[in-house]
Amino acid sequence: MFHWLEQRPFFFSVGVFLVIAFAGLIEIVPDFAQASRPVAGTQPYTLLQLAGRHVYIKDSCNACHSQLIRPFKSETDRYGPYSLSGEYAYDRPFLWGSKRTGPDLHRVGEYRTTDWHENHMWEPTSVVPGSIMPAYKHMFTQNADLETAYAEALTVKKVFNVPYDQPGFTKLGSWEEAKKQALEDAKKIAADMKNKDVKEAVERGEIPEIVALIAYLNSLR
Amino acid sequence: MNSNIFQDNINQLALLAAVIIFFLTVFVAGKYIKQMKTDKSTGELADENWDGIGEYKNELPSGWAYTFLGTMIWGLWYWTMGYPVDAYSQIGEYNEEVAAHTAMFESKWADADDQTLQEMGEGIFLVQCAPCHGIAGDGMGGKAADLTVWGSAAGVLATIQNGSKGLGYPMGEMPAGMLSGDAAKKVAEYVANGMKGEMPAEFGVCAGCHGMDGKGMGGMAPDLTKYGSPAFVADVLERGKKGYIGKMVSFKGRLTPIQEKAVGAYILSLSRSE
Ligand code: HEC
Ligand code: HEC
Ligand code: HEC
Repeated sequence: MFHWLEQRPFFFSVGVFLVIAFAGLIEIVPDFAQASRPVAGTQPYTLLQLAGRHVYIKDSCNACHSQLIRPFKSETDRYGPYSLSGEYAYDRPFLWGSKRTGPDLHRVGEYRTTDWHENHMWEPTSVVPGSIMPAYKHMFTQNADLETAYAEALTVKKVFNVPYDQPGFTKLGSWEEAKKQALEDAKKIAADMKNKDVKEAVERGEIPEIVALIAYLNSLR
Repeated sequence: MNSNIFQDNINQLALLAAVIIFFLTVFVAGKYIKQMKTDKSTGELADENWDGIGEYKNELPSGWAYTFLGTMIWGLWYWTMGYPVDAYSQIGEYNEEVAAHTAMFESKWADADDQTLQEMGEGIFLVQCAPCHGIAGDGMGGKAADLTVWGSAAGVLATIQNGSKGLGYPMGEMPAGMLSGDAAKKVAEYVANGMKGEMPAEFGVCAGCHGMDGKGMGGMAPDLTKYGSPAFVADVLERGKKGYIGKMVSFKGRLTPIQEKAVGAYILSLSRSE
């Protein structure tokens, strides 16, 4: 039989294709299962959170932090309920990470707060003596890139049918509306912060990266 | 740190394995190199022939072939029957483990004494609370409530001076500076001691919201008779607080009642030990 195949490249190719396609199918089919649908209550990111997510990716937080709580007692005691695949429905790409130099962050919004993140991102050792996490002082002066975040939100809305602007889901709206909303969200976060430069920047209508990042971290629940 | 790596039996085994693998490699490589030098081609040629290049028939040894077939059959069985019918569930195992542990925990520590609770509480504190309150519980220079003060007479005094907000009681906020000087101190002592003994007349100011008996008028304001007890801490942990200092998260559902009691006993030992 194999000799027969060896002599007929066309059928050989078809055979190879079938075998590989089958393996691919086995990987893809589970994604259509009910368990992979968005978990009820999961919301697409707001513009500000999305901008913060970009900061998270840009500064490689995922190199040291995972966002996936495994179903082990030791993990759920420390981080909260184990992660479900439907919770990542609007994560593009997901940030599971593969290494935990620092703790998991999938539900960090449940147990850390704006004022804590402000201290921690400015100087981690000021709250956790002996922390080896780097300080991220530049985030307090650099502004977040809302344009890119908006472009991404609009793209996933149009191309992947992410339910922005649908009843009961995150509102995106036009660029002007979205920007205005992001600034309002930023003001609420800046109100809980102490850094003068950040507060003034938000008053002027700018959004420092740290504000967007905290919005994103607070949304991780 | 143990500097002598040969004392660890894992290291010893690994080294032994490395030596064995080394000699096996030399032996096998040597055998094939020799074979390449001396071997003559023998065997039966296959029918097909590509531009003069032939191929020997080289059948799979039957042992391999049967194993291969066996795996295929097992795979089909596992895929259609073995897994779906007798499904192992990781979540199921997790649920069982947690249920067993919870039952064990509840029964083992059901009536733990104060000493045990404090020790357990210290462990919980270092994991859950220390990042915000500091390892010593002192709030790290005003980043969170100073637990070496909160819960004692000095803590009540600070509340009278500064007011309090954010626990989410229907009464809302407690205004600052309702009493001062000796009056404030007297009331603070009285509240911190569980409202026992003679009630200072100045407590009347507080009664408007906390009630004459201090019990908080049926949940309208905090129950002051519990101030400085683990029960009060448990109440704070359930509610969380967004006050003048910052935001304290709610631990609702994240700690069991026994754990809340334990961490309460521990932090109160910081402010109330004489
Ligand atoms: C070099 C590795 C490293 C990088 C990069 C890193 N972290 Fe960390 N992170 C740590 C370590 C280690 C800890 C634990 C010590 C501490 O709390 O500071 C930690 C702790 C944290 C915590 C507290 C979590 C908890 O449960 O207490 C947060 C939040 C956090 N990091 C956010 C971030 C963000 C956001 C970024 C990217 C801007 C980032 N980290 C980048 C190593 C890292
Ligand atoms: C206007 C109503 C009102 C009055 C008067 C009042 N309180 Fe309160 N008190 C409250 C409320 C509401 C809270 C809960 C505040 C919060 O949400 O943090 C509270 C909280 C407290 C707490 C707990 C603080 C903490 O750290 O959790 C103490 C102790 C206390 N009051 C003592 C007093 C004393 C002593 C007086 C009298 C001098 C007094 N209160 C008068 C309304 C009042
Ligand atoms: C995210 C940081 C954070 C964590 C984690 C945290 N706290 Fe707090 N806690 C605070 C802050 C900030 C305050 C001060 C709130 C205010 O009054 O503004 C506070 C206040 C308190 C108070 C005083 C409440 C009152 O009524 O005034 C107690 C008691 C307390 N925390 C206990 C704990 C215990 C016990 C834990 C761990 C199980 C814990 N906290 C974990 C930040 C935190």
